Amino acid sequence: MTIGADRYGSRADTLVFLACVALSVAAMSVPQTWRDPIAKALRQTVLAPLLDLQEESELLRTSKARFAAIEAQRDSAALAATFLPELRSENARLRGLLGLENRLPPGYVAAEVLPQSLPTSPPAIVTSAGAKEGVKPLAAALSPEGLVGIVGTVDAHTSVVVTWAHPEFRASAMTSDGSVYGIVAPHGTAGGGVWLLELRGVPYRQNVPEGTLVLTSGLGGVFPRGIPIGTVVGVVATNEEWEKTYILRPAVHPAAVSHLIILTGPHAGGDLRSAFEAAGEAP
Amino acid sequence: MRRTDKYRFALVLVILVALHFSVRSRLGDERVAPDFLLLALLIYTIRSKPGQSAAAGFVVGLLRDALAPASFGAGALAHTLVGYLSAWGKAVFFAENLMVNGFLFFGGTWIRNLVVVLASGKLRGSMLVWELLFWSPLQGITTALVGMFVLWAFKGWLAIRLADR
Repeated sequence: MTIGADRYGSRADTLVFLACVALSVAAMSVPQTWRDPIAKALRQTVLAPLLDLQEESELLRTSKARFAAIEAQRDSAALAATFLPELRSENARLRGLLGLENRLPPGYVAAEVLPQSLPTSPPAIVTSAGAKEGVKPLAAALSPEGLVGIVGTVDAHTSVVVTWAHPEFRASAMTSDGSVYGIVAPHGTAGGGVWLLELRGVPYRQNVPEGTLVLTSGLGGVFPRGIPIGTVVGVVATNEEWEKTYILRPAVHPAAVSHLIILTGPHAGGDLRSAFEAAGEAP
Repeated sequence: MRRTDKYRFALVLVILVALHFSVRSRLGDERVAPDFLLLALLIYTIRSKPGQSAAAGFVVGLLRDALAPASFGAGALAHTLVGYLSAWGKAVFFAENLMVNGFLFFGGTWIRNLVVVLASGKLRGSMLVWELLFWSPLQGITTALVGMFVLWAFKGWLAIRLADR
């Protein structure tokens, strides 16, 4: 059958179209408390086999790169074994090569980012780890470079991570020497600074030099202390006379993240600075 | 139309959906890689009435919104509009020609992205300009090229007479 003139729109077509538009507008208007269960139900039912397919495909895609990385690790380990006679120091070198995962205290899960094609994807990303893997809401999502975001909603085998680029993201932060505290939030939604962060609420008399590393402070109990957030690159011109706001270059760009580590254990009171310092020193 | 044609048509759509969730991430930057899901919707609209196409667009959009919760509802609205306009436009204006269908795929992709970014309000300023004038046209081109290949390769299965007019 080919296209025919019988396919011109009828009144019923127009009514269906208007109903779909109305439902779409209603979906945009529903509060977050309704929106998340609807999205979660769709991900767990209709989309579940498709997400499984995507996860398998991602595993297949990255397996070659992981094989090369493992080969490189093996070669490095063999080289280290040649030069280091003592088993203890050899083990220390191998642990150093294995990356951030081994430096974290127990209680984390590795997850892959399941990329989506809509242009608004970076503020919230879907990952391949969910409740079955131990992920809980409000868990911190990390990459070896620093903080990526926080887990929003959790399904059985997937979870949604709200990245720092989301307009509602906030984190209690401090400078690396612990002398200055503030709140980190996205810098804005327009212009060239859209992918920057800002450190707000710094007392006016306290100066933070450019290049200072900003970490999570651990205050509030959501993020553990010591996760890199970004580096100070400037100060925002403001009329406020009692506080300053500094611009940060983020440690991690959400669009560049392909794998995540989601903390699942009781890290809230811990300090992860040593794990990330070791990451900077790793070969 | 033979009964088997209907199944072949559905099979092509299923293949496109499977490609979206399996192969797409290997085709480069996700802002540029062809959107197989939207392509399946646009091919569906070629043989469907505007009302059916709008409903299919709404369902596809809502499912995508579940995967990008930051802009929930915007995808449903965008796919509904694109589905309806594509089916209506095909019936009223467009000839059955491979290039014309290519332009339809390109325009559908661009309009979908336009509606999503405007309705969600997540992108503004230079980010919006870059999205609409650079990334969306690139994605439209890749989607159109894949769509034209699918129409050419499966024209018998899709029961479309591409060279008639």
